Amino acid sequence: MTEQPRQDADTLVPPQRQLLRTRVEAAASTYHEVAGWEQVAAHLAGHADRVAIAPSLHAVRPDLAASLEQRGCTVVVPQTADPAADVADVPVAVVAGVLAVAESGSVLVSEHELRDRVVTMLCKRLVQVVAAGDVVDRLEDAAVWLAARAGRAGFASLMTGPSRTADIERSLTIGVQGPDEVDVLLLVGADAAIEEPTS
Amino acid sequence: MTELRSFGERYATALADPDVRGGLTAFQRGWRVSRDAAIGALEEQEGRSFAELRAELAAIKDRVLADWEHHLDTFTANATAAGAEVVRVATPGEANALITERMRAAGADLVVKGKSMVSEEIGLNTHLEAAGLIPVETDLGEWILQLAGETPSHLVMPAIHKRKEVVAALFERVLERPFPPDDIDRMVKAARTELRERFLSSSVGLSGANALIAEGGAILLVCNEGNNRMSVALPQLHVVTAGIEKLLPTYADAMRQVRLLGRSATGQPITVYTNFLTGPRPGQEQLIVLLDNGRTAMAADPDMAAALRCIRCGSCANVCPPYGVVGGHAFGHVYTGAIGLVNTAFHHGLEAAAGPQSLCVSCGACATVCPVEIPLPVQILEVRERVARDGRAGTATTLTRAALRAFQHRLLVDLGLRAVGVATTPLRRDGVTVLPGRLTTRGPLAQRVGWRTPPAVAPRPARDTLRAGRLEEPPRLADQPLAGRTVQLFLQCVSDRLAPAIPIAAAKLLRAAGARVTVPREQHCCGLPAYDSGEQDAARAMVRQTMAALADGADVVTPASSCLAMLGHDAPYLLRGDVAELERAQELAGRVYDLIGYLTAGPGRLPAGSLDDGDRTPVTVHRFCQASTTLGRGDAIEAFLRDVAGAPVVPLPEAGECCGFGGSTSVRNPELSAGILDRKLGCVDRTDASVLITDNPGCILHLRGGVHASGRRVEVLHLAEYLVRRLPGATSTSQER
Repeated sequence: MTEQPRQDADTLVPPQRQLLRTRVEAAASTYHEVAGWEQVAAHLAGHADRVAIAPSLHAVRPDLAASLEQRGCTVVVPQTADPAADVADVPVAVVAGVLAVAESGSVLVSEHELRDRVVTMLCKRLVQVVAAGDVVDRLEDAAVWLAARAGRAGFASLMTGPSRTADIERSLTIGVQGPDEVDVLLLVGADAAIEEPTS
Repeated sequence: MTELRSFGERYATALADPDVRGGLTAFQRGWRVSRDAAIGALEEQEGRSFAELRAELAAIKDRVLADWEHHLDTFTANATAAGAEVVRVATPGEANALITERMRAAGADLVVKGKSMVSEEIGLNTHLEAAGLIPVETDLGEWILQLAGETPSHLVMPAIHKRKEVVAALFERVLERPFPPDDIDRMVKAARTELRERFLSSSVGLSGANALIAEGGAILLVCNEGNNRMSVALPQLHVVTAGIEKLLPTYADAMRQVRLLGRSATGQPITVYTNFLTGPRPGQEQLIVLLDNGRTAMAADPDMAAALRCIRCGSCANVCPPYGVVGGHAFGHVYTGAIGLVNTAFHHGLEAAAGPQSLCVSCGACATVCPVEIPLPVQILEVRERVARDGRAGTATTLTRAALRAFQHRLLVDLGLRAVGVATTPLRRDGVTVLPGRLTTRGPLAQRVGWRTPPAVAPRPARDTLRAGRLEEPPRLADQPLAGRTVQLFLQCVSDRLAPAIPIAAAKLLRAAGARVTVPREQHCCGLPAYDSGEQDAARAMVRQTMAALADGADVVTPASSCLAMLGHDAPYLLRGDVAELERAQELAGRVYDLIGYLTAGPGRLPAGSLDDGDRTPVTVHRFCQASTTLGRGDAIEAFLRDVAGAPVVPLPEAGECCGFGGSTSVRNPELSAGILDRKLGCVDRTDASVLITDNPGCILHLRGGVHASGRRVEVLHLAEYLVRRLPGATSTSQER
């Protein structure tokens, strides 16, 4: 193995974020740092012209839909009684994570309602947006978030990479029932905080 | 679920399928590499050893078991507050009736199922189908098995026994279009398309639970494919089936389980989806069915309660040599692998446990990888004892018991074997019994024994040769660490009569190092064969006999590591019921050594180079499995050979894995034993070494028989036999075999 030349930029990136990147990529997701929601919109528009936005994200960042439409995208926010049908053939979807765990490269997504869940389940490419301030070191930090909501009905998933199987001869195949591709976008810009929906 | 066939049928089918062994060996080897890398990285990340990490998780599970009702109540209260309905059921019948009734009430005809071992345990699919309802498995492996009409052969990789060619043919038949076997991606995508329709049209979803988190009333549910997320989200009714042992107090505890689960199961740091479900989603009902089915009885059984720690990672199967030969359909019942040999007795009864547990070779590998430190080898032998006591185990058990009863009588055994030794003299060739060709090449006997030439019974046992004054004075080593020390040599019953050269070589070596060697006459058998056969009363009798024979407080050295495992490890366990006996067993355990232990870590430490005669013929080393797993020994023999004897040692792949002897297993299930031996000798072939050294006589006789029968040209030697040749002025001792 050859020694990598030391990059000055590395010294500016916190080790926690470097670890997150390593682990996210090890899980076969892609990792990007973006300065704000405009860049999130650009990333999404770069992949498809139809994009589903998780309703919980749309509630706190309605400007994302507008920004996507400006870029020529059709936006789907599932709101009907049959949300699965709303998003059934949308190729790209976006959701906000409540935190990211550096240790495992996981993004914790809270999605109690079916209309949120169908977005992350049925798309081919899932874009997960997390604020840089919401990166934590360890799985126990995610446990603290969960414990704070103990006893309240809810559904939260640590998502780590695209869906996969090795059920046939232990041969790894990416993309089974869930997404084939996952992009983790870390918001490092000034408007980086993501509010939690109040519902 | 398809009804399970009899054990005998399942065993025969597994042996007859050439795909099973080849596929499983590749799977086990691949898993080992991934798992070891993942656990190694975890140890580095956490700054703690696997032993510490698993002890922590085991302690969490034990704390739950100690205060079970409290945690169950907390879970139930919190889950109920979040909108779930929690029902505890005692039996599979109650669980099936409840779930069927609720499905009917919901007007459902289709249920999409995520992977759930409890649903397999209760035979839910069979019941649903009988009630006219349609269960659809959505985990890819489970779906393949459902299409094939089979049950899972592994806890985590249910269809691992199926080769891709078989799966492709199955898909072609069911989906009526071509599937090239090498295009696994195409098969996976076809499953996705087929199953998605079912997800969208089903009104009931069923899942298991990887943990029940009391603190939140939450279900931990992990998956990689994403199927579980769909089956719990889309339908109007979500049914959870879980064993009541799945409780964990807190979310933080759940994270500790998560850290070990994925790594132990598949070598992944974490599964793709680690879901925490609390109550139903808006517009949904959630029914959580908590099953007992023998778990309370297990918890109340001090020897078995630890098995309730199981987190269903399947790692015990992944290192199991018999599992690698026959797979989970034979090695297990509904639950497969080592854990299946234990919990089947409680969930499905002793009769269901009887057949599979007879396949265990007691190598102890399972316990080394278990992430919750379940003492599986000890528990399997407990089950074996209960099966034997149960009396329904059949002729083999009755014969074994009679043989062991006779074997307890030293003089009877002595007389009998001397007679056999004389009678078989014409068939004896260099330590093996060469049967007439037609017996070993044709007919039913050939199939069962032709793969291993049986050992010869020596006309003169080692104890005769070693009687005081009979053995010529061996050359002395320059360094004599044992000068002035008396060593009681424990011959081991097998080598005494079937391989006398081994204890004789050990005696010479110890004397060369300065020891005064005595051979207590009353010694017979340590009791291991009886313990291994589930005959614990007979085993205890033999341990007592051995303790009496070795009561003189001098060091005891045996050339058989298996006797050390018995006297140093198992005997105190067997005598734990009586304080005085336990103390005596522990006293003996404190001064009993096997040869390598005595020469490297005991008083007989030999200096570097002291047995180096200049011979540089490469050797390789098989490590007796229990030396690694039970006695915690690493590369002591290899290091000793290199440093003290100057021998070039070629590392043996899978050196610490069982050779397939497995005590009674090689007699009861010779085909299985042959399969494991084949894997071992294949590894020996890869080293190109002409000398194979090990230190357990059972392994040696088994390996020699296999080498002879397969026509290989490898000399199999006990460490003592090899070393004694390197004493100054030594000559070959093979005539004593």
